[in-house]
Amino acid sequence: MSRWLLRRLLQAALTFAVAIILLFFLMRLAPGDPLSRLAADRAMSERELEFLRRRFGLNEPLGAQFRAFLGGVAQGDLGPSIEHYPERVTSLLASRLPATLLLGGTVLLLNFTLGTWLGVRQAVRRGSRFDRWLTRLALAGYATPSFWLGLVLVAFVSHRWRLLPAAQMIDPLLPLDAGPWVRALDLLRHLILPALTLSLTSIAIMMRHQRAAMLAVFRLEYVSAARARGLTERRVLWRHAWRNTLAPMITLLGLWLPILVSGSLFVEAIFNWPGLGSLANDAIAARDYPVLLGTAMLVSGAVVLAALLADIGYTLADPRVRQG
Amino acid sequence: MIARRLLAPALLLALASVAFARQRPTDHGSMVIMMGGEPSTPIPTLLGMKANNDVSDLLFLRLARPGAGRRIADERGYEPQLARTWSRRDSLTLIFELDPRARWHDGVPVTAKDVVWSFARLRDSTVDPARALLLRHVATVTAENDHRVVLRFRRAYPEQFYDATWQVQPLPAHLVDTIPPSRFAGSAFVQRPVGNGPYRWVRREPGRQLELAAVPSFFLGAPKIDRVVVLFARDADARMNLLLDGSVDAYEGVPPVSGPPRLARSPAYRIETQPSFDLVYLLFNQRAYGDRTRPHPILSDADVRRALAMGLDRTPLLHSTYGAYARTADAPVTGAHWTSPLVPRGVGYDPSGARALLDRRGWMDHDGDGIRDKNGVPLSLRLNLFSSSPTRTIMAPQVQEQLRHLGVQIEIVRLEGAVWSARRAGGEFDIDFSGTSMDPSPSGIVQSWTCAGRGGSNVGQYCNPAVDSLLERAMTSTANTPANWRAAYAALQRDMPAVFLASPVTLFAVHTRYRNVTIRPESFYSSIWRWSVDPARRIARDGLGPTAR
Repeated sequence: MSRWLLRRLLQAALTFAVAIILLFFLMRLAPGDPLSRLAADRAMSERELEFLRRRFGLNEPLGAQFRAFLGGVAQGDLGPSIEHYPERVTSLLASRLPATLLLGGTVLLLNFTLGTWLGVRQAVRRGSRFDRWLTRLALAGYATPSFWLGLVLVAFVSHRWRLLPAAQMIDPLLPLDAGPWVRALDLLRHLILPALTLSLTSIAIMMRHQRAAMLAVFRLEYVSAARARGLTERRVLWRHAWRNTLAPMITLLGLWLPILVSGSLFVEAIFNWPGLGSLANDAIAARDYPVLLGTAMLVSGAVVLAALLADIGYTLADPRVRQG
Repeated sequence: MIARRLLAPALLLALASVAFARQRPTDHGSMVIMMGGEPSTPIPTLLGMKANNDVSDLLFLRLARPGAGRRIADERGYEPQLARTWSRRDSLTLIFELDPRARWHDGVPVTAKDVVWSFARLRDSTVDPARALLLRHVATVTAENDHRVVLRFRRAYPEQFYDATWQVQPLPAHLVDTIPPSRFAGSAFVQRPVGNGPYRWVRREPGRQLELAAVPSFFLGAPKIDRVVVLFARDADARMNLLLDGSVDAYEGVPPVSGPPRLARSPAYRIETQPSFDLVYLLFNQRAYGDRTRPHPILSDADVRRALAMGLDRTPLLHSTYGAYARTADAPVTGAHWTSPLVPRGVGYDPSGARALLDRRGWMDHDGDGIRDKNGVPLSLRLNLFSSSPTRTIMAPQVQEQLRHLGVQIEIVRLEGAVWSARRAGGEFDIDFSGTSMDPSPSGIVQSWTCAGRGGSNVGQYCNPAVDSLLERAMTSTANTPANWRAAYAALQRDMPAVFLASPVTLFAVHTRYRNVTIRPESFYSSIWRWSVDPARRIARDGLGPTAR
């Protein structure tokens, strides 16, 4: 197990390193001067721009820029942002990560609890009206563009019924000294619509996987044997059948985890949610290489880590994988 | 059970808010302003984008500002700000007496030294060449004592007072004079500016919002809007959604076609329209694509440029984009400029005249492919477009279609911001779909439409010394000024360096609970310290006082 784990860790580290190298050089291939927007937004003089060019090493050859970047990474410092100069990239990422984790985590939680439960119920009532309608609804949600659904939800829930705020993560006028309960309630009110939008358009994947996995398990003999032993249907369902569907669900979770940090570009834009997705989007438009690299590193790191965790989880759930 | 647990703190909070709100004067309140761009550096020497200007005007005062009539050439029409009074020694010398009550937000008095230092910084062409060009007529700025500033000009001209007061917002010399110009943008002062205006800096969360608080001891009168939060949202839908759900109190970017009907259903807002200083135009490159050493093979011919202008019907173009909220522009002048009525009528829509003109210049469809050509060169041009601009994105295909009927092939090159800016600055375009926010003075024209502006804002490399001379005369003559402006505009129109399309009207949505609402086209929010809240119509957030420093 330890040799397998070591080999897997080395593979993950190598994948991450290759991703970083590719990201660094591919970004530099994109046309456009990274300081042009800064110059336009801030009316900076040529002297100031030249100072910043030197500060960001933009006049250096690519190799020297890459060495400087690796040196910074080794020290845990990704340098200052170009667009938000002199703000540090690490502090920008740290300020945006909680918003993304909150939104992504809520969606993940919703999809893996509600999605799992609904998928199991569908499998149990296979072919029923409940199963057919839920399948149709879930697929309709999956086929719906998230930005469109977001706008529709805002139009009704926020504008017509005045139930929830249309955008933002917190009330901009919330006093700095507001208590934790007030803050939590305010956050919850702002979280519901974006989380619902993302969840409604993605929960179908979870439901369909869970339903298919349960149906496959229902056909196996040990489930019939459990029933024959007189166990309650609830026990058969959750203790025996569902537990054996966990392995493919772990793989699915591994695929979902990166969403936690990558954020959703459209939904973050519509709801003005201050996450990493919108930060990356702004960084692309501004050619803010340091921020772009920072977000890309975070996302690729999450992908590699999620794949690693999924492999480990899968191995723990099914030892045959490790042996194979 | 959980509901009960939540209910108690919620009730307590509500009671506390009501009690607190009662302690505050009843016409005070808060304001949430929505912006599409982020005012990352609202510092007078680093303005650039409009969002920076809007916030800077709340933090920093000028010596004086144009009055409601916007008669910028008449110093009697100005309102005092940092300068309490002003006088003239002669036609070349202006004297400003600073208001001794004026203070920086750190408590230090505003002195003549601050004004002198700020003029010196902005007149340095290595620091800000565009501003230095606008201040080229200022010869010296000196302090006669702590509160008297003397400006001496090189020549007499009508807008001396405007140049002296509008172009420079003084900075606190005691805080910034040790910062080298090259390091100013990254300095701690820029991160947390100290101004002298009605509002002081509280905090900024990059990419999200910034917050200002009223200065109760502001020497021109305590603001009644105690707390101002500026939100940013890059997405236009998000901005309108925030407005429609009541989260925002003021927004100046209401979409001209879809916005008014949507807001009409919301009685909490009214729309104020203001002529803007914005101008939208198709800029012709006078030099070859990406090579400034050679003239443009097609567009260096003024007749071809004129034919393209004659082939464009601007009325449907503008109507589909702006509805009723734009006026046709005939020169680099907007509806908010005082010279607007002086602009001669430009070329009208005349497709048959345009075809005849192109024929005369040898551009004919020799090979029958629908595109005119001359000496084997097709009349084909690349139109660079900033893809994030919704209005220009609507207009570009219509321009392409209208010119196709003339036998002109237009290739629309959609570019994202950084690439568009780089290509514009590098002259890598045939036609650039440009949009600009102009100075309140028509003299700002020198930056983009004179020989001296080349290398700066004049990216089309248009240069005609005769036009320069006429513009200089219009800007500096004290007699026959309207006639001189008219002649300068007419000369510019003859050269047709661009097709001036529209001067949009700003649609400003503002919550109806505010009183004394005045909005100035040159600076939308600069008067909000005079606004107040109708006591009968206060809402919950008006009870929230300023945050701690």
